[in-house]
Amino acid sequence: MTAVAAPDRPVVRRGGSPARPLRALWGLVGVVLVGWVLGNGFLSLAYHPEWYGHNRILMALVGIVLGIGGSALLFYCINVFIESLPQRASQGLIPYAFLLPAFALIGLMLLYPTVQTINYSFANNKSTAYVGLDNYRAIFADPAFWTALTNNALWLLVVPAVTVAVGLVVALFADRLSAGGEKYSKSLIFLPMAISFVAASTIWGKLIYDANPNIGVLNAILGTENDWIRMSGGRLNSFLMMIILIWMQTGFAMVLLSSAIKNVPDETLEAARLDGANERAIFFRVIVPQIKGTVLTVFITVVILVMKVFDIIYVLTNGQNNTNVIAVMFFDELFTAGRAGRASAIVVVLLLLVPPILVYQVRAYRKEAAR
Amino acid sequence: MLAGCLQNPNAVGGGGAAGGGSVVDNAETDGDKVVTVMGAFGGAEADAFRESLAEFEAETGIRIEYNPDSDFTNLIRLRTSSGQQPDIAIFPQPGGLLELAEQGYVEPIDTYLDYDELDRTLLPGFLESARLNGRVYGAPMRMAVKSIVWYPKAAYEAGGWNTAPANLDELAEVAAEISATGTPAWCMGWESGQGTGWPGTDWIEELMLRMWGPDVYDDWVTNRIPFNDERVVAAFDALGEMIDAPNNVRGGRSGILSTAFGDAMLPAFADPPGCYLERQGNFVTGFLPEGVQANLDEEVGLFIYPPAAEGEYTGQPMLGGGDLAALMNGNDPDAIEVMRFLTSDRFGGPWASAGGWLSPHSTFDVSLYPDEITRTTAEFAASADVFRYDGSDLMPNAVGAGSFWDGMIEWLQGTKTAEQVTTDIQNSWPVDDSAKDEGDGS
Repeated sequence: MTAVAAPDRPVVRRGGSPARPLRALWGLVGVVLVGWVLGNGFLSLAYHPEWYGHNRILMALVGIVLGIGGSALLFYCINVFIESLPQRASQGLIPYAFLLPAFALIGLMLLYPTVQTINYSFANNKSTAYVGLDNYRAIFADPAFWTALTNNALWLLVVPAVTVAVGLVVALFADRLSAGGEKYSKSLIFLPMAISFVAASTIWGKLIYDANPNIGVLNAILGTENDWIRMSGGRLNSFLMMIILIWMQTGFAMVLLSSAIKNVPDETLEAARLDGANERAIFFRVIVPQIKGTVLTVFITVVILVMKVFDIIYVLTNGQNNTNVIAVMFFDELFTAGRAGRASAIVVVLLLLVPPILVYQVRAYRKEAAR
Repeated sequence: MLAGCLQNPNAVGGGGAAGGGSVVDNAETDGDKVVTVMGAFGGAEADAFRESLAEFEAETGIRIEYNPDSDFTNLIRLRTSSGQQPDIAIFPQPGGLLELAEQGYVEPIDTYLDYDELDRTLLPGFLESARLNGRVYGAPMRMAVKSIVWYPKAAYEAGGWNTAPANLDELAEVAAEISATGTPAWCMGWESGQGTGWPGTDWIEELMLRMWGPDVYDDWVTNRIPFNDERVVAAFDALGEMIDAPNNVRGGRSGILSTAFGDAMLPAFADPPGCYLERQGNFVTGFLPEGVQANLDEEVGLFIYPPAAEGEYTGQPMLGGGDLAALMNGNDPDAIEVMRFLTSDRFGGPWASAGGWLSPHSTFDVSLYPDEITRTTAEFAASADVFRYDGSDLMPNAVGAGSFWDGMIEWLQGTKTAEQVTTDIQNSWPVDDSAKDEGDGS
């Protein structure tokens, strides 16, 4: 906008278009106006449902029109503004301008809550005054917190590794089946992915682990009447709950790994066979090194999922009988006990635990790749 | 400077509790003949509630808008903190009511109700549950009672056992006689999903009331005596003795934990019965088999869970609960009018006839109840020497809906002794951080 316009030039040439302040102004006003209309439009849905006759379908339609139409208009106005700048500036700014709304939303929905949670973790239960490190002292002195942390560690050690291993085995053997057999067996193993965590936990809790042998399959097979989900000896109940998550995630691991295995060039396999390698050697020395990237991706995805594991424990034991994990403990502290400070401190600990694991995994992967 | 990132510690409502002089208010229009009510019960119960108000509405011209929500406990907090509290809220537990009363959002009932009149007709002990710093903030509009022992009428009478044991010793004799026949005497189930363990807390409360009396009970639920007091441990031991007596409780310790509380009494109606006695609240009839429910008076017998034969306290206690109505808009004469009606013994006729509802007033017309069982239950409640609110509902949430439940499970499984469990619960009792609220940081 600072560049001086050249009004006597009739044709705008490529590479050196001048600034057009009027158009820039109208673009800017458009952005503000659209933003204002959008904001108030959405607020009116919440504050004045009577304007829409309390009709939910009508309100949903208005929301869709406002959302899609509004963002299209918003981007159009941004575009008008940017293009009216001198070309050098506009070409440099365009990618940022289009990323800006997304970044603003992420900042609002992700960064702000993160910062505020860390802030609240130093405050009292009603988040009205700072209490220093009291919350951290309280949770670290609480044996229940260490139980939860130990359980999270157990989940982390077992679930991702077993999920990847089972997924790999299934993918490998499904690869050897006939086309039809592969299709059906894979669909079957993928099926649990489509079940919600709560439903899966209920299915396993009632149909497999129930103490009544007439209902619980496990007791029926073993001829016992054990209340499996409450048996915390050797963390048995935690392991039984891990099986549920493994059962649900194996399908996901299998699908990704299977496509990776199919992408392994046949030539490398043939070459190995010609050199007299057996199937075992082919798998470990030829296939696995070539799909390492996918294995790591799957592994990290499951690791992140396990860090957040909540539903299975909440549904089956609510953290009782030594099965508590950090996410359930956070929920209890915040909603049952109403201690916002401690709850924040617990999730901050969780937040601090995730990055080192990820960094370590990525490092290990890079080292492997550089070799 | 950083304190700007925290929430305003002085954001209280009208200041009814804090200021004393002013009246609590909300954002609703006053005197517009519309009163908004929020509560936890929905479905058929909400219909019966509305039906019970129909006559009152026609008489006074006040329209009552009742909005139920199953997550009432959290929603009322949320609405209040955003300035959208209803005119009247009906709290299923006193804890949430007192929390909001402390923050100054609830009008004390002595400013608009005739306290003495209420106190005369209500069961003794009810208003105490809603008392904070000397003032009462809510009045009951529904009662639940828990000190009732149920049995399958035909089978039990065929056995010829005592149908009205006068004290715990006589009841233990009955149980011993039943156990001697080879069938366990008691049905018991503590499993309740996320709430597993709560039926166990009821047992401890019942025993605390009977062994040590209402005064110790009050000290215990308010933590004036520590949770790991030897008297509490003694109550655990008494319950343990009952559970561990050979063939006394169906399924033993592990069976109790894996049986859902609603299913616990089903074996009693099998042929031959798998157990005979269950101590549970008046809501248990809703879990009985359909055939039994259709013919409750013929199929089901009941007696009051009796007092102790000797010791510290021998009066008849009644453990129970109730929904407490509280006024959140002291400026609205219509809301006050509704509160007067809701908390009086005139309220509830149609709901009583529909079943599943008990009036907390001893003067309520019992002929309005649908069956003999309900009438007997109401009589038991009215005839009790002392009524006490379910202790776990009065304790802070972290204990009453947290560590107490967990403790019951650990104790029942035998992973921890009564001393260890009660000490754990005592340690989980929230420390009042109000001092910190006013301290540093601001």
